[in-house]
Amino acid sequence: MEIKDIYCKQTGDHCKYIKHSSGLDIYVCEMNGFSTTEALFGTKYGSINTMFKTKNDKQYTVVPEGIAHFLEHKLFENEDCDAFALYAQTGANANAYTSFDRTCYLFSCSDNYIKSLEILLDFVQKPYFTKETVDKEQGIIGQEIQMCNDNPGWKVLFNMLQGMYHNHPVRIDIAGTIESIAQIDADLLYKCYNTFYNLHNMVLVIAGNVKTDEVLEVADRLLKPCENQELETVFEEEPYEVVEHDVTEHLPVGSPIFNIGIKCRPENGNARLKAEMECMIALNVLADPSTPLYKKMMDDGLINSTFCVEAFTGDGFFSLIFSGESESPERVREYIVNEIESAKINGLDKKMFNTIKKSTYGMMVRISNNPEAVASNLISAYMSGVEPYQSIKILSEMTYDDVQKCLIERFDTNNMTMSVIK
Amino acid sequence: MPVYSRKNIADGIGYTTIIDPKFKTNKIQVMFITELKKETASHNAMAVGIIGTSNSRYKNLSLLTDKLNELYGASINVDISKQADEQILSISISSIHNRYALESEDISNSVLEILMDCIFSPNASNGKFSEEPFNFRKKDHLDSIDAEINNKRNYAVIQTHKEAYKGENSENSAYGTKEDTEAVTPESAFEAYQKILKTAQTEIFFVGPEKDDIIEKIITEKFSKLERMPENLNFISPSPLKKEVSRVEEHLDVKQCKMVLALKSSCQDEYIMKFVNTVLGATAVSKLFINVREKKSLCYYCASAYNFWKQTMFIDCGIEEANIEETEKEILNQINEMKCGNITDEEMNHALLSIKNSLNGVGDTSFSYISWYFNGFIKNNVIDTETAINKYASITKQDLIEAAKTLELDTVYVMKGEKA
Repeated sequence: MEIKDIYCKQTGDHCKYIKHSSGLDIYVCEMNGFSTTEALFGTKYGSINTMFKTKNDKQYTVVPEGIAHFLEHKLFENEDCDAFALYAQTGANANAYTSFDRTCYLFSCSDNYIKSLEILLDFVQKPYFTKETVDKEQGIIGQEIQMCNDNPGWKVLFNMLQGMYHNHPVRIDIAGTIESIAQIDADLLYKCYNTFYNLHNMVLVIAGNVKTDEVLEVADRLLKPCENQELETVFEEEPYEVVEHDVTEHLPVGSPIFNIGIKCRPENGNARLKAEMECMIALNVLADPSTPLYKKMMDDGLINSTFCVEAFTGDGFFSLIFSGESESPERVREYIVNEIESAKINGLDKKMFNTIKKSTYGMMVRISNNPEAVASNLISAYMSGVEPYQSIKILSEMTYDDVQKCLIERFDTNNMTMSVIK
Repeated sequence: MPVYSRKNIADGIGYTTIIDPKFKTNKIQVMFITELKKETASHNAMAVGIIGTSNSRYKNLSLLTDKLNELYGASINVDISKQADEQILSISISSIHNRYALESEDISNSVLEILMDCIFSPNASNGKFSEEPFNFRKKDHLDSIDAEINNKRNYAVIQTHKEAYKGENSENSAYGTKEDTEAVTPESAFEAYQKILKTAQTEIFFVGPEKDDIIEKIITEKFSKLERMPENLNFISPSPLKKEVSRVEEHLDVKQCKMVLALKSSCQDEYIMKFVNTVLGATAVSKLFINVREKKSLCYYCASAYNFWKQTMFIDCGIEEANIEETEKEILNQINEMKCGNITDEEMNHALLSIKNSLNGVGDTSFSYISWYFNGFIKNNVIDTETAINKYASITKQDLIEAAKTLELDTVYVMKGEKA
């Protein structure tokens, strides 16, 4: 077992990294004065991981869309009872979520954290799937899919992703479709579980009112060592160009809502984090509420305060999104494109670059103010394949020229998709 | 150890400090509390919205944001809400503590100055707000009202509030209506704001890692100069039970139906009713979750929430149309089970642990600190979380049965898909 202290030079924050003998990576952040303990046990397995193989497989296995999310639901049940019933005995607030690139099981508590940690590590390592329980879950998840279909904020994003990506599974709803989840059975769930819930592909993050030696005592007792399966996940080749430039759907909404996305070439690890942060700075220099573009769109009645920007990235996908509400999304797109093209020729505003950089630093300090945010940052770093506190380090080293170069290389206004719900 | 103190700095104006060295940020929040009336709700909400996006020095959102960005991304937030029959209009500013400034700037005093300018020197002249921040806020406000329908679960609860509280102040949205907002002018919003400064009960909070005497001095000086005639507010206003259950059905283009039940109670003990709510539907081992969702698979979600101020419980669920009747029957059956005494020791223990878990976490964010002490203030009973936990721990099963017996169905709202 290897234990390493990791420090953030800029803020003085600190956590411990443990490479546990079971194969699991563990991050512990002891936070004096906080009552809450926040723990996440996660696997690098999300909705996009539908094609994979291990060192024992000759061929890639392809599984139905939505299976990672289905597995998350089913893992809460073991042979005797469900995990919620166990957590009820500690009072912890427990939950789980599946996103594009990860599945995480979590609890938050202000007492009995060791007992809650035992429950977490135990149930995630004990799958129990039968035909009956799988059939029942198909109905529940079917309801969840219907609920998401009524959420215009969700639909506008997935409509944009479908207009943007030809093959990459990021284009499919995390929960899958009614048709795809109908193909899931207990054997497939075991296959995915045994592949992705290998401790070499997982992480435990725990922050707040916690002691490292107590965490390690529980980990030593409950983690079941396993062999590294050398998991490989792959995606069908994705063309650079978007599928279509405009997607519109009609649903009950107030003002029409839009997502305007630029599709970029994907990156991995530190390169992805660096590119993502440069893009975020560029997006804010272009369209933060302090910018001329924002003011112009506001003065012309084109946007309201819901307007925001985002760099949306992961394994095999990378896009930049402008979202909000507008009666004239086409004009919003026109304004944005003009601003980007002008900044490519004339350069981004240097004063604005410095101010946005300073503001981003402040935001990073502010969001590391409680155990939930700290745990979330630590797990995001692991899932992105970078060390904790890398974001603030990259930010401190970022120059104006880096961001201008990023703008020229990545903000391809010919490769955009606009999705509108009205 | 955190240190809490509150004092009156002017007539009907309180200043609370919560000092906790673990925080990296300072937060100052000013809460204006006034009666929630249809004729003033939109004006008040607009006025506080305008002062949250501009002041006489930074005349619009762009200029204000640029200044806040320079101050390491300090942020101003406006929050408009209702509690019981009152409208709560909050403006807050949060920033990193001076110790994290990279060039030793004084962030704390600069953000205080901005907030004080927003409140005491808004972008207004000749008795009216300036057109630019007014027009921006008006569009934003109207769009927010229109966007209520985007979140179907919240929308269903809002519609149920309107029906369950019909004829009471709390039937109104804290944002007011679209029609009333259309009628707001720069003059009428400014007039409403002057009235807020004069009459609203005002609670100010400072939460940060260390005491700041300058902040306290400046806030006290500014607020004590106001001409004041504070209104009397009544937070506890139980909603009367309707003679007959009111049923509302709405059809929208949705795939999943929603149902919300409102039940009224005559129990005046907040702790017992919150305990009833936790056993019934506030956790993943509650009666509603286990029986309605898990055992009977009737819905995707089913949860309860208790509004102590109005003595009303709301139960909301997302369901398929074919299950609407059976779900209502099963929800009422679970309440009936509690009335008949079918509450196990295990259920009570689980609920108590869950309540303790949330109370022990109060103080891990400045938001939770402010909520806790603000609620204590309006109940005229500021206690610490340990005392509250002891109150919950002394509740018996018989207390829960008696309290559950007071719950009676008042309103049922159902959202269905469009008629074929």
